[in-house]
Amino acid sequence: MKLNTNMQVNRITDEVWEIPVSEKSGMLVPARIYATPTILQSMDAGVFEQVTNVACLPGIRRYALCMPDGHWGYGFPIGGVAAFDVQSGIISPGGVGYDVNCGMRLIRTDLSLDEVQPQLERLMTELFRRVPAGVGASGFMRLDRASFKDVMTNGARWCIDRGLGWHRDLDAIEERGCIAKADPSKVSDQAISRGINQLGTLGSGNHYLEVQVVSSERVFDEETAAAWGITGHDQIVVMVHCGSRGFGHQVASDYLKVFEKAMRRYGISVKDQQLACAPFASVEGQDYFAAMNCAANTAFANRQVITHQIREAFSTVFDRSAEDMGMELVYDVAHNIAKVERYPEGELVVHRKGSTRALGPGSPDLSQQYRATGQPVICGGSMETGSYLLAGTAGAVRDTFASTMHGSGRTMSRAQAKKAIRGEQVQKQMKQRGILVKAVSMSGLAEEAGFAYKDISEVVESVDRAGITKTVAELRPIGNIKG
Amino acid sequence: MSHSFHFLDDIATADLAFDAFGDSLQELFHGATCAVIEAMADPSTVGSTWHKPVERTEEDPAELLFDWLSDLVYWKDADGVVFSTFELTVTRGDDGSWHLKGELCGESVNGSVQVLRNDVKGITKHMYHVSQEGRRWHARVVVDV
Repeated sequence: MKLNTNMQVNRITDEVWEIPVSEKSGMLVPARIYATPTILQSMDAGVFEQVTNVACLPGIRRYALCMPDGHWGYGFPIGGVAAFDVQSGIISPGGVGYDVNCGMRLIRTDLSLDEVQPQLERLMTELFRRVPAGVGASGFMRLDRASFKDVMTNGARWCIDRGLGWHRDLDAIEERGCIAKADPSKVSDQAISRGINQLGTLGSGNHYLEVQVVSSERVFDEETAAAWGITGHDQIVVMVHCGSRGFGHQVASDYLKVFEKAMRRYGISVKDQQLACAPFASVEGQDYFAAMNCAANTAFANRQVITHQIREAFSTVFDRSAEDMGMELVYDVAHNIAKVERYPEGELVVHRKGSTRALGPGSPDLSQQYRATGQPVICGGSMETGSYLLAGTAGAVRDTFASTMHGSGRTMSRAQAKKAIRGEQVQKQMKQRGILVKAVSMSGLAEEAGFAYKDISEVVESVDRAGITKTVAELRPIGNIKG
Repeated sequence: MSHSFHFLDDIATADLAFDAFGDSLQELFHGATCAVIEAMADPSTVGSTWHKPVERTEEDPAELLFDWLSDLVYWKDADGVVFSTFELTVTRGDDGSWHLKGELCGESVNGSVQVLRNDVKGITKHMYHVSQEGRRWHARVVVDV
């Protein structure tokens, strides 16, 4: 098998591959990659280099992991998972990602494709108007700095208290939409200035809002799907992919600078400047954790405000209340975050960067409604192919620190994609295939063309066969909003 | 005196990368600034109703460029603007530190008249370097979008 690395990669199973500690000086644990042979061969050299760099970080436990949607990132690969001892280990912004708590949210409806198709153009126009996207977009909310600090502390709950959602929404959000130990005093004024007007905005890049359809033949686990309100029968659902916007990025940038200096003081050396870190238990580590949690809560609030706007848009177009249309939250899950979780090794700081938490059935950390099924895992594909709804398993808790994939993962750079196709062409081709696209930037649209991504079905198959999630349903796009 | 930049195809799968060049450090700053401005929007479609003077001092020219480019990202979000033109001078002080004095010009984001491109989220240290060979300065920058 030809791989993009000279390192020794040992087969553990057909979906799990291991790079032993002997392959790089300083590795403290082996690196493990979850992928089918086809996916493994398509992985860029950066994945192998970066996952083994992560394996060198102090206090790492068991393995440095990479999921099948992995590709190079800043410091950690995208798709990277690593857990560090809370006493002897580190925390690193490079293991969280710049867009703190970038994540996915899925909203179900009782509407069918037959009902929505005749109104699709109007619906997408209304969504495009209500959910600002693209460069410099600002939301409809105007907050003062004190209110924004309340958002940092209270997350999605802040929105619910102001009528921007339903109380039961909180049961369907990771951590109920509010992570404790968020301290706004650890956040810079610059970060606040960047984020204060961005609540309720999508951003650009690979962020999107998508109207999707679930057909009965693409529901693979009817019992689990039904428990989450997914019935098939050409049911309409809405997916949102976005995070903490410029605010989270500034938090990460601020603390990368702090950590560059702190590492010298703590005698930590790293293989890549973007792996700058500090001991989790140190003042700098705790300050970053507190600031990162502020950004995570702001991202939960961002997706909650967008959900409110989606419900309002549907109400306007279909002249029915959102409740009457059954617009319940299926789930909201982070895929760029570090959290303290308990495993057999003890309390660990689990970094997931482009990786989703995937708690199995019976987990006490899940709301009652998910205890029997395991946690919903929402995986976004390219805007041309489709997305998946998966369920967490006991296997993930046992093998991958309760983590799995988050999307399909890029295989082609943005610059290459733009050279291969124009945005207008993508829009036209998608329309011919029944997908209506509203985009702020045509060049941005070209960058997100489906051929720039891995085949998400193959990625999903990797995690399903590895037993770290099970496939519940495929979601096919019919309308997409891009920044 | 001249500067240039070009975006790189094979670096930064999910983001944008560029090389900038200049016959002096100041020209390098010009080239890199043009690249970041172009990444955000077509500057020929952006007016100049917004102005922001910026001054920065750093011992390391690479850090000075990094901070200056990060300033563009900051003002884009904080004031909701994209950029049309800029002026800058880079000089070296008696203490050896590098000093940048400049002004950014642009206008509020308005997708109906401006050709908008990427919502740049930040300048990264991934593969970041500033180097000099003879009189020619070079910077490689990866931009998170």
